[in-house]
Amino acid sequence: MPPELEQTLTLLSSHRSVLGYLLLSRGDHVSIIRHSGVIFEGEQGKKYASVIGKMVESVQAGLEEVSMSENDGDQIRFMRIRTKRHEIMISPDERYLLAVLHDPAS
Amino acid sequence: MSDKRRAEIEAKRAKLAELRKARADRQRAETERRQAEPGPSSGARRDVDDLVNQLVGSRSGLDTGEDLTPSSSLPNTPPRPSTNLLHGLTLSPSGRVSRQSDVGSDKVSMGTTMMGMMEHVDRVLTPRFIPDLIDVEQELFELPQRERVIYNKEVQTTAIETETPQISENEIRQQIMRERELEAERIAQDKELEEESVQLEKEIEEEIRELTEEERSHILSAPEFLDFVEQSSKIVQRALNDGYDYIRDYTIGTEANGDDSEGKRVKRICAFYDERCGKNRSITDIDWSPKYPELSVASYNKNPAALNEPDGIVAVWNLHLLDRSEFVFHSQSDVLSVTFSPFHSNLVFGGTYSGQILLWDTRSKHLPVLKTPLSAAGHTHPVYAMQMVGTQNAHNLITSSTDGTVCSWLVDMLAQPQETLELIHAGHNKTGEVAITTLDFPDNETTTFWVGTEEGNVYQANRYDRAGAKAGLNQYDIYKGHAGPVMGLHFHPLVGPVDFSDLFLTASVDWTVKLWRAKSLAKPSTAAHAISPIYSFDEADDYVYDVKWHPAHPALFGTVDGSGRFDVWNLNTDTEVPIVSTNVGSGRAINKLQWDRKDGRRAALGGSDGKLYVYDIGDMALPRESEWTDLQKTVAGFIGGAQANGVVDGDATRIVAGR
Repeated sequence: MPPELEQTLTLLSSHRSVLGYLLLSRGDHVSIIRHSGVIFEGEQGKKYASVIGKMVESVQAGLEEVSMSENDGDQIRFMRIRTKRHEIMISPDERYLLAVLHDPAS
Repeated sequence: MSDKRRAEIEAKRAKLAELRKARADRQRAETERRQAEPGPSSGARRDVDDLVNQLVGSRSGLDTGEDLTPSSSLPNTPPRPSTNLLHGLTLSPSGRVSRQSDVGSDKVSMGTTMMGMMEHVDRVLTPRFIPDLIDVEQELFELPQRERVIYNKEVQTTAIETETPQISENEIRQQIMRERELEAERIAQDKELEEESVQLEKEIEEEIRELTEEERSHILSAPEFLDFVEQSSKIVQRALNDGYDYIRDYTIGTEANGDDSEGKRVKRICAFYDERCGKNRSITDIDWSPKYPELSVASYNKNPAALNEPDGIVAVWNLHLLDRSEFVFHSQSDVLSVTFSPFHSNLVFGGTYSGQILLWDTRSKHLPVLKTPLSAAGHTHPVYAMQMVGTQNAHNLITSSTDGTVCSWLVDMLAQPQETLELIHAGHNKTGEVAITTLDFPDNETTTFWVGTEEGNVYQANRYDRAGAKAGLNQYDIYKGHAGPVMGLHFHPLVGPVDFSDLFLTASVDWTVKLWRAKSLAKPSTAAHAISPIYSFDEADDYVYDVKWHPAHPALFGTVDGSGRFDVWNLNTDTEVPIVSTNVGSGRAINKLQWDRKDGRRAALGGSDGKLYVYDIGDMALPRESEWTDLQKTVAGFIGGAQANGVVDGDATRIVAGR
């Protein structure tokens, strides 16, 4: 695990309103590469991971449906889901996914 | 008669005895043979058996040498497997087939070795001994079993029952229906099973599985993973930076916000600092991006404590991303000056302590994409000042180093400078070198510039020969006033109805900031004479490291000094003291000041603690309509006052306000 990576991720998770992050790998199996924060521990983390994976898949499928032309249409760059309590920010890639949970009101 | 009979009988007896003896011998021989297992003759049989087995088993062509490795015996002939045997049978090989083949009445005619052995064997035995031969039959090759096609005679049609055809039809129909039902059931079952299995598979897929250690380390070391984390974490951090809760409901809530009274207050927006690039280093230069107003660049000198880190670092900071830099560039030696290219939004130029000029591209990684060579063609001394002049199509980078060399470069050709100019002051007592610390071009001028030197004087220089003036330093007009090295020099920006672009400010180590009027180039002097400043600002308590005019407001300028103070002056309000004076940071010196390009609301201050402070001056940056005329009056007041004191050389025609 190269040190710059560690530093970047620690910086991210030490932000005052961030509650945790999840690094997932996409593909046939969604699997957790790394996670941090109390929220993403154990079973809860796995559930979040599968839910986030499904959400991204369904949004991407929706985008492909509405895309006019046959070629490579739009792709999700960033998703920000503001719920009553928290905000989930998802930054997907072809192969990986970074999801950060934070509390904007704090 | 009896003799004859006796002779006959004797002969017969002898014969009988012989026969008996022969039989006894034979029996003895047999028993011997049977007892002595590895007896010679039986040995022969056994050898034959062994040989045959070997030959059949290995199928290696043994018809050549006596050793069992055909390849070594006859190097020319490659070992020919099973076909050998066939050949051996069909063609009798190298004819050592002896006459004793009748002895070898066994069907194996393996050739020489066998025959040879037989011969040997036979010679061992008594010549009259007729060996007891065994027939050994071995199949050396397997013929494929010939398929014997057998035909059976059968009746094709089944016995027809002609009694009750209808019933059978019904029966048949029922049978068919039953079969169909069965089939349908089977199909249904299959389908169910399939669906179940599909579902199970899906569930298995959807199950989040943990990665094995191997997979994890494999992913973690992949370069695209690192890139992905860099990119996405930057995006997330920018989004996190927002701070505004957009679902806030203003109808509820009792937020007691403290109101900010702007007025004449200077507010700090942020301080960019990163351990990686700022620790133990000082900021040596700052610039704002002409294209993206939120980006600024800062150059750092070396960290004396860390010898493994690059000596020079340049970091691009984004106002929306406070925790970390957008880009970081490395250099082999301390970077002393940095500037964004005004014509290409991706390029960043840097001048270093070694004299090299480096070009970085934000699209590439840490290292410079272009460098000037470390040769005598370019600079060999630290490059403290550089500026980009010209237009989009014809622009040059002008750089100056402390040995008085001023080079002009073409952006894409950094292999050698387009022009080199040595600024030499012939009148100096020891050496003609002029140690340039700072350089500036007036707005709209590209061929003549002013330099501030280590001795405290400011000189004007020309890039090219022109009527009445040669290229190089103009040694006749000496702007004398400072008692120490000039650290900053800045011409008034050309903006607004009145042209003040001949006014420039200098900041120096002698704790003062001085305002000068540049001598017009129309009348070049022929004799050395000193030019004095119009005004001097003596408020500071420490070295003044930088001074910059405000880009929008004509009478506003800022200074930074060695005690960590940032002063904002307004000449129309007060010429003796700054209107706002702020203590920046922890009291360490601030090295550079740069107003942001658009409207000058923000100022970036680079500290010697490695932090880049960004301050907002708010409404002070907005000039009123009257500022220009007010400034004219002020400047006139300066000159008038100076004249009255006998400092400035009187030239009545020049006091016409503004020009």
